[in-house]
Amino acid sequence: MAKRDTPLLDELEKGPWPSFVTDLKRQAEKKPECWDILGQLELSYHDRITHWKHGGIVGVFGYGGGIVGRYSDLPKEFPGVAHFHTIRVNQPSSKFYNTAKLRALCDLWEKHGSGMTNFHGSTGDLILLGTTTDHLEPLFYELTHELHQDLGGSGSNLRSPACCIGKARCEWSCFDTQAACHGLTMHYQDELHRPAFPYKFKFKFSGCPNDCVAALARSDFAVIGTWKDDIRIDQAAVQSYIKGEFPSNGGAHSGRDWGPFDIQKEVIGLCPTECMWMEGDELKIDTSECTRCMHCINVMPRALRPGVETGATVNVGAKAPILEGAQFATLTIPFIKVDPESEFEELIEQIEKIWDWWMEIGKNRERVGETIQRVGLPTFMKIMELEPIPQMVREPRSNPYIFWQEDEVPGGFERDVREFRKKHAQ
Amino acid sequence: MGYDPANPMVDRITDIGPPHFEQFFPPVIKNNYGKWLYHEITQPGVLMHKSETGDECWTVRIGAARLVSIEYIREICEIADKHCEGSVRWTTRNNVEFMVDAKDKVKPLMDDLASRSNKFPVGGTGAGMTSIVHTQGWVHCHTPATDASGVVKAVMDELFDYFTSHTMPAQVRVALACCLNMCGAVHASDVAILGIHRKPPMVDHDAIAGLCELPLAIASCPLGAVSPTKATNSKGVEVKSVKVKNERCMFCGNCYTMCPAMPLSDPDGDGIAILVGGKVSNRISYPKFSKLVIPFLPNTPPRWPETVAAVKNIIDTYAKDARKYERIGDWAERIGWEKFFEKTGIPFTIHCIDDYRLAYDTWRTTTQFKFTSHIK
Amino acid sequence: MALSTEDLKLAIIEKATKSPKPQLYIKDFYKCDPDSKPRVIKNVANELVREGELMFWSSGSTTMYARPDRIKNEETREDAEEHKDD
Ligand code: SF4
Ligand code: SF4
Ligand code: SF4
Ligand code: SF4
Repeated sequence: MAKRDTPLLDELEKGPWPSFVTDLKRQAEKKPECWDILGQLELSYHDRITHWKHGGIVGVFGYGGGIVGRYSDLPKEFPGVAHFHTIRVNQPSSKFYNTAKLRALCDLWEKHGSGMTNFHGSTGDLILLGTTTDHLEPLFYELTHELHQDLGGSGSNLRSPACCIGKARCEWSCFDTQAACHGLTMHYQDELHRPAFPYKFKFKFSGCPNDCVAALARSDFAVIGTWKDDIRIDQAAVQSYIKGEFPSNGGAHSGRDWGPFDIQKEVIGLCPTECMWMEGDELKIDTSECTRCMHCINVMPRALRPGVETGATVNVGAKAPILEGAQFATLTIPFIKVDPESEFEELIEQIEKIWDWWMEIGKNRERVGETIQRVGLPTFMKIMELEPIPQMVREPRSNPYIFWQEDEVPGGFERDVREFRKKHAQ
Repeated sequence: MGYDPANPMVDRITDIGPPHFEQFFPPVIKNNYGKWLYHEITQPGVLMHKSETGDECWTVRIGAARLVSIEYIREICEIADKHCEGSVRWTTRNNVEFMVDAKDKVKPLMDDLASRSNKFPVGGTGAGMTSIVHTQGWVHCHTPATDASGVVKAVMDELFDYFTSHTMPAQVRVALACCLNMCGAVHASDVAILGIHRKPPMVDHDAIAGLCELPLAIASCPLGAVSPTKATNSKGVEVKSVKVKNERCMFCGNCYTMCPAMPLSDPDGDGIAILVGGKVSNRISYPKFSKLVIPFLPNTPPRWPETVAAVKNIIDTYAKDARKYERIGDWAERIGWEKFFEKTGIPFTIHCIDDYRLAYDTWRTTTQFKFTSHIK
Repeated sequence: MALSTEDLKLAIIEKATKSPKPQLYIKDFYKCDPDSKPRVIKNVANELVREGELMFWSSGSTTMYARPDRIKNEETREDAEEHKDD
């Protein structure tokens, strides 16, 4: 494949941010098909339109997900990318790697594909961009035999679960996000590789309500760390913040002079539940009023820490706007233990209740959040065998259109109109 | 032994899942798992985590294009071998993190990174901007309404100073999706750059019989805009085909995914919408969706100047006007959206008013408002 | 009563062969035996994939099942186009 002229893309080699164009050109020295990626992209920049086609049936034998077919709509002009399929490799929990593993992945991709990747895709998978159908089975063989790795999910499957860095390097993680993510990924390999559902299903695990993996916005089953007891307070460190010895918010605001730290204004005054106050030199928090929003802890990480009675909140049913409009995940289980010892059986029990129901009544291409909206939260709660509690709503309903069940009303729905008429003339 | 095409099922291994995460931890992470006490961002891009054992983990965070080559990864490996005992990680927002176990190892690492031209910019922490999460765009998808990597590169070049500093009121999370399927969910970002189509699909009556199953094409449309019809192909032959009810179309491209004979991309129809004020964190206020403030900007490769200027204007205005700890959405709600439009100078148009499902939620039903220049 | 695995397989193959749509959602197979749990049907459909009786078709976001000989394949389609004589 010949070198291509790319005058438009060359403009993206300028500027301080790392340039993917420069990187592609560098790769093209070893992998000449990258010139065709550049060439076709240059044409897209010229035409202001994509030149890719969708192709639906590539995959490795026996798996319904993990590979997405892709073809150029100008295969003669750009033979190097005529067939250009994407491979999703399931990432290790929270994306730590050692260089031996990374190099092996690079060598594998040098042998079987274009050399271009996404580190990582939106769901979390490591994405290998661009190969032909005949490479898929050999690549899969080597991936599983030599690298001991597997593909991720795509299609109407469980998608590759993802988690925040958790206990590996975050002082706020209220449960072991990595262990949960890995444990459930292993437990549900069949659901991940073979379509089982009306549509995609995602698990995400964040260690605390800061929600660094956007579980609340992006997952059907969001597990977000929380705690029940008092925020741990180091009063001496609180004083150090007041005296300005420690930077606010772990130094996050160091680039600008916001004036001296003011605990009243910056912490107590911004607490959404107004549950904090100073008693002399002591910071007090009324735990029963605190909604664990993380603000005070974020501002004073050396003085405040989450409590020790930790677990997670489970919210169900987030999705992007398509189709019924965007949804955040709805609070379903306020507090659940997340225990590696029990192999996460508490979570598994909840997940399977959802799946057994959704697989049966979910419509094709309907995310579970949309199914819940269609049948209503009360119906979903009955499926989940949950008691109604005010925590599940922001506010009670404002219409009186209750679907009363017959057994809720004394005497049921059947009445004798003749008896009625005896007392009420027509 | 290797793969044998004649016997693909021999010794087949499946369902082994990802490798266990722990084997990749550097010693300082492994030894202090679950023991961390607090952290501090000592300068933009550098985090120090302190453990109750007294150990410290120093992290240097660098921004990266999401689209990277194996040559680039090998260079990352070289750096990780030299400074980090062969360990490295990626964040959820496509940043790379190098970790060392002592403060004096930070400077040699940073010097090394700085010596490699602009490939490894240090930053992305605190009250600043971090890498833009994004989707595939013209590099690899069949339904994009804009490119992804190029727009991101152009925006990051312009806002680079916010990446390497902590000068904003709070963190600003920018995300890009190149069509409204949003396979990278951008709907809860401080600033969302969203590719949109504005022309309904065309129907290729010559090709449809060979390319598509009509029932699937009809079922694919979420709004029921696709229906069966008889049409005449270019040879004058009557064929079974489909038609599109244009006024029902929301320009999502689902039909094209199921039926390649229904392309909808168009150089002038396609472009970018800007949404602002979303967030996912539960900090102070509830998580929020991003709201549409600019309905359309044209596709102007290679550097999308209109989009870059629009994003910069929103972020600059916010940085000047908001209070410490206030996210863009919190700021806009405090000052009121009418003030947001006035302060940013973004024209308010009829397309900013919701007329899709549940639209009423966003209409104002109080007499409280501010007199801005919008009221003539 | 739920069908036996063998009968369920036959019913699924028949459905995939005779249905006007060549690609079918997993839910389309539920109707083959209303008494079997969705998971049982999924497992049987996947077994048919292993046996080569069915194959997966994926749009990237959704996955469907099809009889291998009823599927329009991008690669065979291209070949076919090149061999067209008009
Ligand atoms: S979600 Fe919470 S626990 Fe997890 S990395 Fe973010 S701040 Fe730490
Ligand atoms: S976590 Fe939030 S609600 Fe609780 S005390 Fe701190 S600021 Fe207040
Ligand atoms: S957002 Fe849309 S166009 Fe962009 S990669 Fe995802 S599906 Fe493709
Ligand atoms: S673009 Fe979307 S809404 Fe328009 S016809 Fe196609 S599927 Fe329907």
